[in-house]
Amino acid sequence: MIWAKEETLTRQEIEEIQFTRLKDTLKRIYDKVAAYREKMDAVGVGCEDIKSLDDITKLPFTVKQDLRDNYPYGLFTVPKKELVRIHASSGTTGKPTVVGYTKNDMDMWTECVSRIACMGGATADDVAQISFGYGMFTGALGLHYGLENIGASVVPASCGNTQKQIMYMQDFGATLLVATPSYALHIAEVARDMGVDPSKDLNVKIGLFGGEGMTEPMREEMYRLWGSDMKATQNYGMSELIGPGVSGECLELCGMHINEDHFIPEIIDPDTGEVLPPGEKGELVVTCITKEALPLIRYRTGDITRLFYEPCKCGRTTVRMENISGRSDDMLVIRGVNVFPSQIEEVLLNVKEIGAHYEILVERKNYLDTMEIKVELADETLLDSYAKLGELEKKIKFSLKTVLGLDAMIKLVAPRSLKRFEGKARRVTDLR
Amino acid sequence: MIRQLSIFIQNEIGSVAGVTSILKNNNINLRAIASFDTPEFAILRIVVDQPEKAKTLLINSGFAVTMSEAIAVELEDKPGVLHDLLQVIADAGFGVNYIYSIVFRNGEVPLIILNTDNLEKSKEVLIEKGYSIAEQEDVIL
Repeated sequence: MIWAKEETLTRQEIEEIQFTRLKDTLKRIYDKVAAYREKMDAVGVGCEDIKSLDDITKLPFTVKQDLRDNYPYGLFTVPKKELVRIHASSGTTGKPTVVGYTKNDMDMWTECVSRIACMGGATADDVAQISFGYGMFTGALGLHYGLENIGASVVPASCGNTQKQIMYMQDFGATLLVATPSYALHIAEVARDMGVDPSKDLNVKIGLFGGEGMTEPMREEMYRLWGSDMKATQNYGMSELIGPGVSGECLELCGMHINEDHFIPEIIDPDTGEVLPPGEKGELVVTCITKEALPLIRYRTGDITRLFYEPCKCGRTTVRMENISGRSDDMLVIRGVNVFPSQIEEVLLNVKEIGAHYEILVERKNYLDTMEIKVELADETLLDSYAKLGELEKKIKFSLKTVLGLDAMIKLVAPRSLKRFEGKARRVTDLR
Repeated sequence: MIRQLSIFIQNEIGSVAGVTSILKNNNINLRAIASFDTPEFAILRIVVDQPEKAKTLLINSGFAVTMSEAIAVELEDKPGVLHDLLQVIADAGFGVNYIYSIVFRNGEVPLIILNTDNLEKSKEVLIEKGYSIAEQEDVIL
């Protein structure tokens, strides 16, 4: 089912809507946000210079650092009292990326997720178990509101406690699962260990996956474990833009339809910033044109993809983005959480008992991401007892958990035993 | 009191041999050694005849090493003597962190090497009870 008429407009109609909304958004931002005004003035572009949709390329990019520099509310266009929701994603020590929503933003977010849920086959008859972690991350609550909006029965199971998740699925008759693809595979494995065959003994026929990319081999694995009749789609979003709801796959599985009446996508060369023609691979840049609280202009997502403008067999005319094939920076996605090695480094450099060198090993064990960090012991007085070394490990783990929201395994190694680099250090090994 | 070295050892094949080869090549005599089957890493504790020299050599070879004191108590080689000693420490209210021993001493009685949560007081209590505490010179034989 196609949820909204905006998903089937002609290209000309879409572009007219985009241009009108871009102009309105730009004017509001220029008037209300000093940081944007300064950026635009610096390159000599005013709102009146945007005479057509193509002129969007004249506008300066927004990057994650801008959000950090203006922490927490500096880029917001509305007074704090108009916010009805605040979310945050993991940032560097003490400085997460904060995003806010007005009442209208919440309605728009819910609308966008409703469309994506319908693209993936969800209906009012579904019992939808949400196995994303609830909390400051946008994933769980985004899907939660969207699925409620289409009339589905939402089970806010959150993540973890997998055996109980399986019990809920059985007892509540879940027909739809929201999870990261790797957690969905893990749930299926645990179910099998419990003697429950997900393809026969559970009724989950729809998977709305997100938080991390789903490769085609992972999708095949999903069919193998959950049943070949599962509708396994993925969707895309990021908290800076709205959360989930930016784009999603329809059942044709030929890319993720972008909600173009709310977001304008572009593909750029990540090195030069130059806009690339349709179909070329590059970094996705997104402009929010309907958000009130935090409408980012030309936000560099760091995700590498391609855009396809041909109408889809499903009937939707909105542009489709290919599955994310990489990053323009060194960001890792671990269990759906975005992690920059620089965040880890910042934590480690504050621990005086260890040295400045470290190695990060990311693996997938039994469908779950694991992160091991090797650090060199520098304070030999801790060799007095195992307890002191154990406390050091615990202290590092706790600091990382605070900053990243993730558990990491810490491995203490002997001084000077880690690799030294003369050029650019390669401290991350991703074996997934 | 005697001086012991605590060395950080990774759980890898040949890691203890890496320590002993340095001692051998520099003619340092190992008097006692202790390590346990911990999963990730281990603290190797050794008593040698030239602790300062051994420490410098090991650090220069990239090991994390710390030197600390431990109590070395002379004990006769007969049943029950270790129990009596441990009872003295327990009665005084101190906890034992680890124990290892020096058995071969050219005809002298073995030494039990002890670390407790209060080394000075433990030593005093043992001396009061008539135990003979060895010093660093006593392990250089």
